[in-house]
Amino acid sequence: MSEHTLGPAERAWRSETVSLGMWVFLLTEVMFFGVLFLAYFHVRHADPEGFGIASRHVHEWLGTFNTAILLTSSLSMALAVQAASGDDRKRLVRLLAVTGLLGAAFMGVKATEYFLEWKDGLVPGPGFRYSGAHRRTVEEFFFLYFVMTGVHAIHLTVGIGAVAWNALVARRERHVTRREDAIEALGLYWHFVDVAWVFLYPFFYLVLLYK
Amino acid sequence: MTQPAARAYWITWVMLLALLVLTFALAHVRLGNLNAAVSLAIGAMKALLVALVFMKLRRASTLLAVFAVAGLLALAILFGLSGADYATRATTPAPWTSP
Repeated sequence: MSEHTLGPAERAWRSETVSLGMWVFLLTEVMFFGVLFLAYFHVRHADPEGFGIASRHVHEWLGTFNTAILLTSSLSMALAVQAASGDDRKRLVRLLAVTGLLGAAFMGVKATEYFLEWKDGLVPGPGFRYSGAHRRTVEEFFFLYFVMTGVHAIHLTVGIGAVAWNALVARRERHVTRREDAIEALGLYWHFVDVAWVFLYPFFYLVLLYK
Repeated sequence: MTQPAARAYWITWVMLLALLVLTFALAHVRLGNLNAAVSLAIGAMKALLVALVFMKLRRASTLLAVFAVAGLLALAILFGLSGADYATRATTPAPWTSP
């Protein structure tokens, strides 16, 4: 069906359906991350002291900076959704580009962190070189850290790809309102990935910062 | 779908960054058991802001809101029942687990 045959009521109905579908997908994502958070609580509860010691080995300044980057990318994504709805193609493409670049910046900082932790011998497995107190909990902490932030990074990579793709498609579109629902769904996904990080951040970076 | 004003998004962003600075600063203050609670509470506030404003739950239909809350409910059941299990059972190590 071509766009101009749709009335406002049909457009609203279609928009609601798209959002609902995306929310159902996000529910499966909540359960997916949920079990990981459950494992997290179990490990932390089993040895709170060791968990705190372990958390002192992550780079809290880089993590905080990265959180600011991701929160800002959510702002540009929300503004992009608004631009798509207002049929402002230039603004949409520009805001999607900003969102994608902020996502890429986050990945760059995260990769730096991973590299530093790998150099410090904190990657669980045969290369795990930490030999201080609570060795087992520290290894479990870093196991959770790499799995959970890694899964988050995969989600973000998918998001960056989708943002880039939509920016390229929108550039050739005469009326970007045609892409309105796709961008809206993309926005929901992007914000969800942001929300997941909002919890990962205090759980790994802010456990034991006070002296 | 009618779009909220850009101003609301910018205000939300400022609030999110303010909460980030607040939680980072409070994590450096010794509050005992409250440290974990405070960082979790601020995290929840940030998530709520993103969900209500950026994800538009504030203006969403009841159906959509029910779906969003269903996720939290399922999560609460998962945490509640599994947590009760961990809290009330003795840990029996598997034969291959090193003590």
